[in-house]
Amino acid sequence: MLDESMPQGDDLLAAELVLGLLREEEQREALARSATDPAFAALVAGWQERFVPMTDAIAPVNPRRRAKKRLLKRLFDTGPVPLSQRLWVWKGLSFAALAAAAYLGVQQLAVDPPSGADAIYATQLSGTETPLQVLAVLDLAKGDIALNRVAGTEAEGRSFELWAIVPEAAPVSLGVLTAQSTMRVSLPQSLRDRAGELTLAISDEPAGGSPTGEPTGSVLAAAPLTEL
Amino acid sequence: MDRQEIETLIGRVAMNDRAAFSALYDATSAKLFGVCLRVLHNRSAAEDAMQDSFVKVWKHASRYQSNGLSPMTWLITIARNTSIDRLRATRKGHMDIDTPGLELAASTAGPEQLAVAAGEARRLTGCLDELAEDRGAAVRGAYLDGHSYADLAERFSVPLNTMRTWLRRGLISLRECMSRE
Repeated sequence: MLDESMPQGDDLLAAELVLGLLREEEQREALARSATDPAFAALVAGWQERFVPMTDAIAPVNPRRRAKKRLLKRLFDTGPVPLSQRLWVWKGLSFAALAAAAYLGVQQLAVDPPSGADAIYATQLSGTETPLQVLAVLDLAKGDIALNRVAGTEAEGRSFELWAIVPEAAPVSLGVLTAQSTMRVSLPQSLRDRAGELTLAISDEPAGGSPTGEPTGSVLAAAPLTEL
Repeated sequence: MDRQEIETLIGRVAMNDRAAFSALYDATSAKLFGVCLRVLHNRSAAEDAMQDSFVKVWKHASRYQSNGLSPMTWLITIARNTSIDRLRATRKGHMDIDTPGLELAASTAGPEQLAVAAGEARRLTGCLDELAEDRGAAVRGAYLDGHSYADLAERFSVPLNTMRTWLRRGLISLRECMSRE
Protein backbone atom coordinates (compact mmCIF):
# COMPACT_ATOMS: atom_id res chain seq x y z
CA MET A 1 0.00 0.00 0.00
CA LEU A 2 1.02 3.57 -0.48
CA ASP A 3 2.28 5.46 2.48
CA GLU A 4 1.11 9.07 2.31
CA SER A 5 3.83 10.18 4.70
CA MET A 6 6.56 9.13 2.30
CA PRO A 7 8.06 11.84 0.09
CA GLN A 8 6.46 10.00 -2.78
CA GLY A 9 3.10 10.85 -1.18
CA ASP A 10 3.60 14.54 -1.91
CA ASP A 11 4.73 13.84 -5.42
CA LEU A 12 1.62 11.75 -6.03
CA LEU A 13 -0.58 14.42 -4.50
CA ALA A 14 1.00 16.94 -6.89
CA ALA A 15 0.30 14.66 -9.86
CA GLU A 16 -3.32 14.17 -8.77
CA LEU A 17 -3.73 17.92 -8.31
CA VAL A 18 -2.44 18.58 -11.82
CA LEU A 19 -4.71 15.92 -13.31
CA GLY A 20 -7.67 17.26 -11.34
CA LEU A 21 -8.42 13.98 -9.61
CA LEU A 22 -8.74 15.11 -6.02
CA ARG A 23 -11.92 15.40 -4.03
CA GLU A 24 -13.13 18.90 -3.28
CA GLU A 25 -11.51 19.45 0.16
CA GLU A 26 -8.27 17.75 -0.87
CA GLN A 27 -8.23 19.86 -3.99
CA ARG A 28 -8.69 23.07 -2.03
CA GLU A 29 -5.97 22.14 0.45
CA ALA A 30 -3.53 21.09 -2.24
CA LEU A 31 -4.17 24.26 -4.24
CA ALA A 32 -3.61 26.40 -1.17
CA ARG A 33 -0.41 24.50 -0.47
CA SER A 34 0.85 24.94 -4.00
CA ALA A 35 0.43 28.69 -3.52
CA THR A 36 2.45 28.82 -0.30
CA ASP A 37 4.82 25.85 -0.12
CA PRO A 38 7.70 26.29 -2.62
CA ALA A 39 8.80 22.64 -2.42
CA PHE A 40 5.29 21.43 -3.19
CA ALA A 41 4.93 24.07 -5.91
CA ALA A 42 8.08 22.64 -7.52
CA LEU A 43 6.50 19.17 -7.58
CA VAL A 44 3.35 20.58 -9.16
CA ALA A 45 5.38 22.47 -11.77
CA GLY A 46 7.32 19.27 -12.49
CA TRP A 47 4.13 17.33 -13.24
CA GLN A 48 2.74 20.14 -15.36
CA GLU A 49 5.89 19.91 -17.49
CA ARG A 50 5.66 16.12 -17.61
CA PHE A 51 2.01 15.94 -18.62
CA VAL A 52 1.93 18.75 -21.16
CA PRO A 53 3.38 16.60 -23.99
CA MET A 54 0.00 14.86 -24.07
CA THR A 55 -1.01 17.95 -26.03
CA ASP A 56 1.88 17.65 -28.51
CA ALA A 57 -0.21 15.60 -30.89
CA ILE A 58 -3.04 18.13 -30.84
CA ALA A 59 -2.96 20.10 -34.07
CA PRO A 60 -3.21 23.90 -33.87
CA VAL A 61 -6.53 25.23 -35.14
CA ASN A 62 -6.92 28.86 -36.12
CA PRO A 63 -9.77 30.47 -34.22
CA ARG A 64 -12.08 32.76 -36.15
CA ARG A 65 -10.76 36.29 -36.59
CA ARG A 66 -13.60 37.77 -34.65
CA ALA A 67 -12.53 35.78 -31.56
CA LYS A 68 -9.53 38.09 -31.20
CA LYS A 69 -11.66 41.18 -31.70
CA ARG A 70 -14.04 40.00 -29.02
CA LEU A 71 -11.19 39.27 -26.65
CA LEU A 72 -9.52 42.66 -27.12
CA LYS A 73 -12.85 44.39 -26.75
CA ARG A 74 -13.60 42.47 -23.56
CA LEU A 75 -10.23 43.35 -22.05
CA PHE A 76 -9.59 46.86 -23.24
CA ASP A 77 -12.83 48.47 -24.25
CA THR A 78 -14.17 49.07 -20.80
CA GLY A 79 -14.93 52.76 -20.80
CA PRO A 80 -12.81 55.00 -18.57
CA VAL A 81 -9.25 53.89 -18.02
CA PRO A 82 -9.12 51.75 -14.87
CA LEU A 83 -6.60 53.10 -12.42
CA SER A 84 -6.09 49.87 -10.60
CA GLN A 85 -3.19 48.97 -12.81
CA ARG A 86 0.01 50.87 -12.43
CA LEU A 87 1.54 51.59 -15.81
CA TRP A 88 -1.91 51.63 -17.27
CA VAL A 89 -2.42 55.10 -15.87
CA TRP A 90 0.24 56.48 -18.14
CA LYS A 91 -0.93 54.62 -21.18
CA GLY A 92 -4.37 56.14 -20.94
CA LEU A 93 -3.07 59.67 -20.68
CA SER A 94 -3.21 62.11 -23.51
CA PHE A 95 0.01 63.35 -25.05
CA ALA A 96 -0.49 66.67 -23.34
CA ALA A 97 -0.78 65.00 -19.97
CA LEU A 98 2.34 62.96 -20.63
CA ALA A 99 4.21 66.10 -21.53
CA ALA A 100 3.00 67.58 -18.28
CA ALA A 101 4.16 64.51 -16.42
CA ALA A 102 7.59 64.91 -17.95
CA TYR A 103 7.52 68.56 -16.97
CA LEU A 104 6.71 67.56 -13.43
CA GLY A 105 9.76 65.39 -13.37
CA VAL A 106 8.16 61.98 -13.21
CA GLN A 107 10.11 60.60 -16.12
CA GLN A 108 12.80 59.53 -13.69
CA LEU A 109 10.39 56.94 -12.31
CA ALA A 110 11.07 54.60 -15.13
CA VAL A 111 14.67 54.29 -14.02
CA ASP A 112 14.37 54.03 -10.28
CA PRO A 113 11.53 51.93 -8.94
CA PRO A 114 10.02 53.88 -6.08
CA SER A 115 9.97 52.59 -2.54
CA GLY A 116 9.04 53.92 0.87
CA ALA A 117 9.34 57.67 1.22
CA ASP A 118 10.29 57.99 -2.42
CA ALA A 119 7.10 56.34 -3.60
CA ILE A 120 5.18 58.21 -6.25
CA TYR A 121 1.45 58.00 -6.66
CA ALA A 122 -0.59 59.33 -9.51
CA THR A 123 -4.08 59.54 -10.81
CA GLN A 124 -6.16 61.18 -13.44
CA LEU A 125 -9.29 62.95 -12.34
CA SER A 126 -11.85 63.01 -15.11
CA GLY A 127 -15.17 64.76 -14.82
CA THR A 128 -18.05 62.39 -15.27
CA GLU A 129 -20.37 65.06 -16.64
CA THR A 130 -18.07 67.99 -17.32
CA PRO A 131 -14.95 68.06 -19.52
CA LEU A 132 -12.76 68.48 -16.42
CA GLN A 133 -9.49 66.59 -16.54
CA VAL A 134 -6.72 66.94 -13.96
CA LEU A 135 -3.55 64.91 -13.63
CA ALA A 136 -2.25 64.53 -10.07
CA VAL A 137 1.13 63.20 -9.00
CA LEU A 138 1.95 62.74 -5.32
CA ASP A 139 5.65 62.75 -4.54
CA LEU A 140 6.08 61.43 -1.00
CA ALA A 141 9.71 62.55 -0.88
CA LYS A 142 8.47 66.14 -1.13
CA GLY A 143 5.10 65.54 0.50
CA ASP A 144 3.26 67.47 -2.14
CA ILE A 145 0.89 66.86 -5.00
CA ALA A 146 1.64 68.30 -8.40
CA LEU A 147 -1.47 69.07 -10.38
CA ASN A 148 -1.92 69.67 -14.04
CA ARG A 149 -5.25 70.79 -15.37
CA VAL A 150 -5.54 69.43 -18.88
CA ALA A 151 -9.13 70.44 -19.44
CA GLY A 152 -12.01 72.12 -17.65
CA THR A 153 -13.01 75.66 -16.66
CA GLU A 154 -14.88 76.79 -13.57
CA ALA A 155 -18.34 78.26 -13.94
CA GLU A 156 -18.59 82.03 -13.44
CA GLY A 157 -18.07 82.86 -9.75
CA ARG A 158 -17.24 79.26 -8.79
CA SER A 159 -14.06 77.41 -7.83
CA PHE A 160 -12.80 73.86 -8.20
CA GLU A 161 -11.76 72.55 -4.81
CA LEU A 162 -9.48 69.56 -4.35
CA TRP A 163 -10.11 67.06 -1.57
CA ALA A 164 -8.11 64.22 -0.09
CA ILE A 165 -10.18 61.34 1.23
CA VAL A 166 -9.16 58.34 3.27
CA PRO A 167 -11.62 55.66 4.36
CA GLU A 168 -13.78 56.47 7.36
CA ALA A 169 -12.70 60.08 7.65
CA ALA A 170 -14.08 63.40 6.48
CA PRO A 171 -12.59 64.81 3.27
CA VAL A 172 -9.66 67.13 3.86
CA SER A 173 -9.45 70.23 1.69
CA LEU A 174 -6.23 70.69 -0.23
CA GLY A 175 -7.29 74.08 -1.54
CA VAL A 176 -8.83 75.44 -4.68
CA LEU A 177 -7.33 75.08 -8.13
CA THR A 178 -5.57 78.22 -9.30
CA ALA A 179 -5.90 79.77 -12.72
CA GLN A 180 -2.54 78.34 -13.82
CA SER A 181 -2.67 74.96 -15.44
CA THR A 182 -0.01 73.53 -13.12
CA MET A 183 0.29 73.96 -9.36
CA ARG A 184 1.53 72.16 -6.28
CA VAL A 185 -0.34 71.62 -3.04
CA SER A 186 1.06 70.23 0.18
CA LEU A 187 -0.41 67.01 1.55
CA PRO A 188 -0.97 67.19 5.34
CA GLN A 189 1.53 65.05 7.25
CA SER A 190 -1.23 62.89 8.74
CA LEU A 191 -2.30 61.77 5.26
CA ARG A 192 1.17 60.99 3.90
CA ASP A 193 1.33 57.66 5.71
CA ARG A 194 -1.94 56.64 4.12
CA ALA A 195 -1.05 57.52 0.55
CA GLY A 196 -1.95 54.01 -0.58
CA GLU A 197 -5.58 54.51 0.49
CA LEU A 198 -5.99 58.06 -0.75
CA THR A 199 -8.70 59.13 -3.10
CA LEU A 200 -8.64 62.59 -4.61
CA ALA A 201 -11.81 64.42 -5.54
CA ILE A 202 -12.74 67.76 -7.04
CA SER A 203 -15.94 69.53 -6.12
CA ASP A 204 -17.70 72.58 -7.44
CA GLU A 205 -17.66 75.30 -4.73
CA PRO A 206 -18.34 79.00 -4.30
CA ALA A 207 -15.44 81.24 -5.41
CA GLY A 208 -12.54 80.80 -2.99
CA GLY A 209 -13.66 77.43 -1.73
CA SER A 210 -16.19 75.79 0.52
CA PRO A 211 -17.27 78.09 3.34
CA THR A 212 -17.81 75.17 5.74
CA GLY A 213 -14.59 73.22 5.34
CA GLU A 214 -16.57 70.35 3.86
CA PRO A 215 -17.61 69.87 0.25
CA THR A 216 -20.84 71.71 -0.38
CA GLY A 217 -21.21 71.47 -4.16
CA SER A 218 -21.37 68.49 -6.43
CA VAL A 219 -18.37 66.18 -6.78
CA LEU A 220 -17.21 66.53 -10.37
CA ALA A 221 -14.45 63.93 -10.37
CA ALA A 222 -12.91 61.41 -7.99
CA ALA A 223 -10.20 58.82 -8.39
CA PRO A 224 -7.95 56.75 -6.14
CA LEU A 225 -4.20 57.33 -6.24
CA THR A 226 -2.20 54.49 -7.69
CA GLU A 227 1.40 53.76 -6.85
CA LEU A 228 3.66 53.96 -9.86
CA MET B 1 8.39 31.62 -32.34
CA ASP B 2 10.90 30.17 -29.90
CA ARG B 3 10.72 29.84 -26.15
CA GLN B 4 12.76 32.97 -25.54
CA GLU B 5 10.51 35.12 -27.71
CA ILE B 6 7.34 33.86 -26.04
CA GLU B 7 8.90 34.40 -22.63
CA THR B 8 9.78 37.97 -23.59
CA LEU B 9 6.23 38.59 -24.77
CA ILE B 10 4.78 37.27 -21.51
CA GLY B 11 7.18 39.56 -19.65
CA ARG B 12 5.93 42.53 -21.64
CA VAL B 13 2.30 41.49 -21.11
CA ALA B 14 3.05 41.55 -17.38
CA MET B 15 3.82 45.26 -17.89
CA ASN B 16 0.38 45.71 -19.50
CA ASP B 17 1.86 45.96 -22.98
CA ARG B 18 -1.13 45.50 -25.28
CA ALA B 19 0.93 45.17 -28.44
CA ALA B 20 2.84 42.29 -26.84
CA PHE B 21 -0.46 40.71 -25.82
CA SER B 22 -1.69 40.90 -29.39
CA ALA B 23 1.55 39.34 -30.66
CA LEU B 24 1.34 36.60 -28.02
CA TYR B 25 -2.21 35.86 -29.11
CA ASP B 26 -1.17 35.64 -32.75
CA ALA B 27 1.69 33.30 -31.91
CA THR B 28 -0.13 30.92 -29.57
CA SER B 29 -3.91 31.13 -30.02
CA ALA B 30 -4.07 28.36 -32.66
CA LYS B 31 -2.32 25.88 -30.35
CA LEU B 32 -4.43 26.92 -27.36
CA PHE B 33 -7.61 26.78 -29.42
CA GLY B 34 -6.62 23.29 -30.60
CA VAL B 35 -6.25 22.19 -26.98
CA CYS B 36 -9.60 23.73 -25.96
CA LEU B 37 -11.27 22.07 -28.94
CA ARG B 38 -9.74 18.67 -28.07
CA VAL B 39 -11.14 18.89 -24.52
CA LEU B 40 -14.52 20.40 -25.30
CA HIS B 41 -15.31 18.99 -28.77
CA ASN B 42 -17.40 22.07 -29.50
CA ARG B 43 -16.27 25.09 -31.44
CA SER B 44 -18.18 27.78 -29.65
CA ALA B 45 -17.43 26.41 -26.16
CA ALA B 46 -13.78 26.08 -27.14
CA GLU B 47 -13.69 29.66 -28.36
CA ASP B 48 -15.11 30.86 -25.06
CA ALA B 49 -12.59 28.77 -23.12
CA MET B 50 -9.75 30.13 -25.22
CA GLN B 51 -10.95 33.66 -24.64
CA ASP B 52 -11.17 33.06 -20.88
CA SER B 53 -7.66 31.60 -20.99
CA PHE B 54 -6.23 34.70 -22.61
CA VAL B 55 -8.03 36.89 -20.08
CA LYS B 56 -6.22 34.90 -17.36
CA VAL B 57 -2.94 35.30 -19.23
CA TRP B 58 -3.45 39.06 -19.35
CA LYS B 59 -4.34 39.27 -15.68
CA HIS B 60 -1.76 36.87 -14.31
CA ALA B 61 1.23 37.32 -16.60
CA SER B 62 3.18 38.85 -13.75
CA ARG B 63 3.03 35.51 -11.94
CA TYR B 64 4.56 33.65 -14.79
CA GLN B 65 8.17 34.52 -14.06
CA SER B 66 8.25 33.01 -10.61
CA ASN B 67 6.61 29.67 -11.34
CA GLY B 68 9.51 28.25 -13.31
CA LEU B 69 7.39 26.65 -16.02
CA SER B 70 8.30 26.79 -19.67
CA PRO B 71 6.12 29.42 -21.36
CA MET B 72 4.17 26.99 -23.55
CA THR B 73 3.56 24.69 -20.57
CA TRP B 74 2.15 27.62 -18.64
CA LEU B 75 -0.11 28.74 -21.50
CA ILE B 76 -1.30 25.24 -22.42
CA THR B 77 -1.94 24.37 -18.76
CA ILE B 78 -4.15 27.45 -18.43
CA ALA B 79 -6.07 26.53 -21.60
CA ARG B 80 -6.42 22.88 -20.58
CA ASN B 81 -7.61 23.69 -17.06
CA THR B 82 -10.00 26.38 -18.23
CA SER B 83 -11.49 23.95 -20.75
CA ILE B 84 -11.82 21.16 -18.23
CA ASP B 85 -13.51 23.48 -15.74
CA ARG B 86 -15.97 24.44 -18.48
CA LEU B 87 -16.52 20.78 -19.38
CA ARG B 88 -17.14 19.84 -15.78
CA ALA B 89 -19.49 22.76 -15.27
CA THR B 90 -21.85 20.95 -17.64
CA ARG B 91 -21.68 17.82 -15.53
CA LYS B 92 -23.41 17.18 -12.26
CA GLY B 93 -21.61 17.95 -9.00
CA HIS B 94 -18.77 19.65 -10.76
CA MET B 95 -15.80 21.20 -9.04
CA ASP B 96 -13.40 23.65 -10.62
CA ILE B 97 -9.88 22.36 -10.87
CA ASP B 98 -8.80 25.97 -11.09
CA THR B 99 -5.40 26.63 -12.50
CA PRO B 100 -2.46 25.61 -10.42
CA GLY B 101 0.25 27.66 -12.03
CA LEU B 102 -1.63 30.88 -11.74
CA GLU B 103 -1.23 30.76 -8.01
CA LEU B 104 1.92 28.67 -7.71
CA ALA B 105 4.38 29.74 -5.03
CA ALA B 106 7.77 30.79 -6.34
CA SER B 107 9.10 27.37 -7.07
CA THR B 108 12.22 26.01 -5.40
CA ALA B 109 12.94 24.13 -8.57
CA GLY B 110 15.85 25.76 -10.33
CA PRO B 111 16.00 26.02 -14.10
CA GLU B 112 18.13 22.86 -14.26
CA GLN B 113 15.61 20.87 -12.24
CA LEU B 114 12.77 21.94 -14.48
CA ALA B 115 14.87 21.38 -17.57
CA VAL B 116 15.23 17.81 -16.30
CA ALA B 117 11.46 17.57 -15.92
CA ALA B 118 11.01 19.00 -19.42
CA GLY B 119 13.58 16.53 -20.76
CA GLU B 120 11.75 13.69 -19.06
CA ALA B 121 8.54 14.94 -20.58
CA ARG B 122 9.78 13.91 -24.00
CA ARG B 123 9.64 10.35 -22.72
CA LEU B 124 6.01 10.67 -21.65
CA THR B 125 4.42 9.09 -24.67
CA GLY B 126 6.71 6.08 -24.59
CA CYS B 127 6.19 5.70 -20.86
CA LEU B 128 2.41 5.98 -21.13
CA ASP B 129 2.52 3.21 -23.70
CA GLU B 130 4.71 1.17 -21.40
CA LEU B 131 2.06 1.30 -18.66
CA ALA B 132 -0.56 -1.38 -18.65
CA GLU B 133 -2.71 -0.18 -21.52
CA ASP B 134 -5.73 0.88 -19.53
CA ARG B 135 -3.66 2.75 -16.94
CA GLY B 136 -2.14 4.84 -19.71
CA ALA B 137 -5.63 5.45 -21.05
CA ALA B 138 -6.79 6.45 -17.56
CA VAL B 139 -4.04 9.06 -17.23
CA ARG B 140 -4.90 10.43 -20.66
CA GLY B 141 -8.59 10.40 -19.77
CA ALA B 142 -7.93 12.45 -16.65
CA TYR B 143 -5.68 14.94 -18.40
CA LEU B 144 -7.50 15.43 -21.68
CA ASP B 145 -11.09 14.56 -20.83
CA GLY B 146 -11.27 15.78 -17.26
CA HIS B 147 -12.30 12.38 -15.88
CA SER B 148 -12.41 12.10 -12.10
CA TYR B 149 -11.61 8.90 -10.22
CA ALA B 150 -15.35 8.20 -10.16
CA ASP B 151 -15.66 8.67 -13.94
CA LEU B 152 -12.67 6.44 -14.53
CA ALA B 153 -13.95 3.75 -12.15
CA GLU B 154 -17.19 3.69 -14.09
CA ARG B 155 -15.47 3.64 -17.45
CA PHE B 156 -13.18 0.75 -16.49
CA SER B 157 -15.85 -1.01 -14.41
CA VAL B 158 -13.81 -1.21 -11.21
CA PRO B 159 -14.62 -0.02 -7.68
CA LEU B 160 -13.58 3.57 -6.89
CA ASN B 161 -10.86 2.60 -4.40
CA THR B 162 -9.40 0.10 -6.81
CA MET B 163 -9.28 2.79 -9.45
CA ARG B 164 -7.50 5.14 -7.10
CA THR B 165 -4.84 2.61 -6.09
CA TRP B 166 -4.44 1.52 -9.65
CA LEU B 167 -3.93 4.96 -11.09
CA ARG B 168 -1.57 5.97 -8.29
CA ARG B 169 0.57 2.93 -9.02
CA GLY B 170 0.43 3.94 -12.65
CA LEU B 171 1.67 7.43 -11.77
CA ILE B 172 4.54 5.99 -9.74
CA SER B 173 5.56 3.71 -12.62
CA LEU B 174 5.24 6.64 -14.97
CA ARG B 175 7.53 8.77 -12.82
CA GLU B 176 10.08 5.95 -12.66
CA CYS B 177 9.94 5.31 -16.37
CA MET B 178 10.30 9.00 -17.20
CA SER B 179 13.28 9.56 -14.92
CA ARG B 180 15.10 6.58 -16.39
CA GLU B 181 18.06 7.55 -18.53
